[in-house]
Amino acid sequence: MSLDFDFTKPAGRSAWTRELLAPMDEVKFDELARILFAWQHARVPALEKLCAAHGIVPASLPSWKDIPAMPQQVFKLERLYARGLRKPAATYETSGTTTGQPGRQFLADIDIYRAVALGNAARPTCEGLAHLHFLVPSPQDAAHSSLSAMFGFWAEEFGAKRTAFWVNNNTIHFVALRAVLETQCRQGVPIGIAGTAFSFVHAIDAWADLPPLELPPGSWLLETGGFKGRSREVSKPELYAQLARTFSVPDADIFNEYGMSELSSQAYARGTKGLHETPPWARVLVVNPMTGREVRVGQKGLVRWIDLANTDSVMALQTLDLAERTAQGFRLIGRLPRTEPRGCSLSAEDLAAIK
Amino acid sequence: MTTRQRIDLLARAYPRLFPRAELLRLVRDQLGHVDALDRWIVRGGKRVRAKAPQSIYHICAGNLAVSARTSIVHGLVLGAHNSVKLPGDRDDASTRQEILGFIRGLPAPLRKLVEAHNKLDEKALHRADAVVAFGSDATMTSIREKLRFDQKFVAHGHAVSLLWLSAPNKLTSKQARACATDVLTYDQLGCLSPQAIYVPPGANVEALAEKLAQALETEWLASAKKPARPLSVAARIAEARDVAFARGHRVWLPPSRHLGWMLISDPDPAFSPSPLHGVIVLRRCAEAKLVKALSVVSGRISTVGVAGRLSSRLEKDFLSLGVSRFCPAGRMQFPPLTWHHDGRQTLAELVTWIDAEGRA
Repeated sequence: MSLDFDFTKPAGRSAWTRELLAPMDEVKFDELARILFAWQHARVPALEKLCAAHGIVPASLPSWKDIPAMPQQVFKLERLYARGLRKPAATYETSGTTTGQPGRQFLADIDIYRAVALGNAARPTCEGLAHLHFLVPSPQDAAHSSLSAMFGFWAEEFGAKRTAFWVNNNTIHFVALRAVLETQCRQGVPIGIAGTAFSFVHAIDAWADLPPLELPPGSWLLETGGFKGRSREVSKPELYAQLARTFSVPDADIFNEYGMSELSSQAYARGTKGLHETPPWARVLVVNPMTGREVRVGQKGLVRWIDLANTDSVMALQTLDLAERTAQGFRLIGRLPRTEPRGCSLSAEDLAAIK
Repeated sequence: MTTRQRIDLLARAYPRLFPRAELLRLVRDQLGHVDALDRWIVRGGKRVRAKAPQSIYHICAGNLAVSARTSIVHGLVLGAHNSVKLPGDRDDASTRQEILGFIRGLPAPLRKLVEAHNKLDEKALHRADAVVAFGSDATMTSIREKLRFDQKFVAHGHAVSLLWLSAPNKLTSKQARACATDVLTYDQLGCLSPQAIYVPPGANVEALAEKLAQALETEWLASAKKPARPLSVAARIAEARDVAFARGHRVWLPPSRHLGWMLISDPDPAFSPSPLHGVIVLRRCAEAKLVKALSVVSGRISTVGVAGRLSSRLEKDFLSLGVSRFCPAGRMQFPPLTWHHDGRQTLAELVTWIDAEGRA
């Protein structure tokens, strides 16, 4: 394997992408992680500072598991971009629902993001589908949404004629979507519908008085995003039961995508009880925040992503998402709850609400 | 039972928390006379007497028992029947236990005036003459929506507090320890807990921080009951540390890296909430720029603890920001009973007055 990847050049990025999509064992993952870490360490000042405080330098990194992970919060406060003054080809923003300030992910080029978005879940789920519907705005309507961008890649790859985006001007066009779906259901070809969990809740509400849609066999649903900042929350089992009723799809054909704007890769889980699986070029560690080390199997901790496709910012991301480590990987529990009472004491979230 | 008799009972049960002299002063300050609830008193040339609410509904916050305790005592001083909504299940059970323990420790004649509920009793809330609540702004809004127009409502919503060190280069060890007491008491969870320490420019931050770090460690080691650090708390402390590292801010940690306290020097003077649990942020700010730096919490600053002297200009600026209490460093968490909580006459607001004018 060539160890000389120049992430500033298209050829270097293509070579990197090929490595990511080729078979990946633990040794190769560690090797690639060290290369990318050293490259980002030299170019992202915030990462260099974080590493210095933890006494980590790329030359003496014990393992990829020891790469200091950037707190998600820093994407809201600093420009985490390994390409200096080069104008990013894309800037994706987080919702900013927690503190009112969005996090920003800068991509020098969308090439790697596109390749891994297509190389991950899209490949097994989208091929062979006759129709694909997205309950999000199109990439043209939401230029700073990484989710819209990803679905845009899928739409390009699998045929714009067979795909449609159903949200614009903050409106989900349920009447027109319903009419199209009913027609396509009669054709008997599989349908894929992907959108935010909340958009599906709206669909369930909008069609509550209508008979269930009979999605043909082989159809699937993909929900993502959770309910952060929304007025209403629905538990996953409840949502999946309602989705199964409304669309006539088995639980096993409902997927959850776990990703975030600050990353280039995603993990997917199937059905109510399915565990999330990361693609070969990304790993999730469940860590104890006090030690920064992985917890034992069966214990709970925080989700830490190591994403080799995230070349232009930082590859190791520390979330405040709670998970349980399993023998196979991890079981995502959700956003870390603020269990300790704050009462009258003002928090960042409260301040955002006031502002 | 008269006001004086109730005060005597309270003071005998809890002499340190509620000394008799302070309770008498509280009633005198706010109602004009200790016996105002029990007989006619002469005020402004006419006879008046105060009428206490028959029932008060107290809604307690989950972070601290101290505000609930004080609120119940106010109700008992007035002789009202007190319904107490305890903190919910998702809150720290120790706060609930502390409130229940306090109620159990009341003398029988007073204890029968208090009843506790685990859940909000909508009927009792609706019936109450007055409602006193502590918690978030969102909680206050939702309670207000449930009330009758003629119910008295004393709402204590979100607030923050901070420390001001006027001469940081001359901070004594005693003052540093006082600051540490303010930060670490109640694990920094109350609205009287400082979330930031402000110092004027020219402060030797390194030397000051070393002094404060030492004081924080001493205070932490001296505390008999160390607060717990469950996953959710540890995660937020670790996040604050790594965010500060990544931003190049200086961070002072305990020598053994325990999660009891952390001091961060942030060059940005603009206030930003701390994750609490011993995480305190040191900010440098010129007096002339303080109003702007604190504008984000204008109207929500409860207490400013001061080490040194507060200039008249600064005092004026703090007043314009709505600060309702100044106190010496080390006393932030221990306001006197006569304190105007959130600038309010907590006792006086609960009573109504009866006037008896002279004969025609």
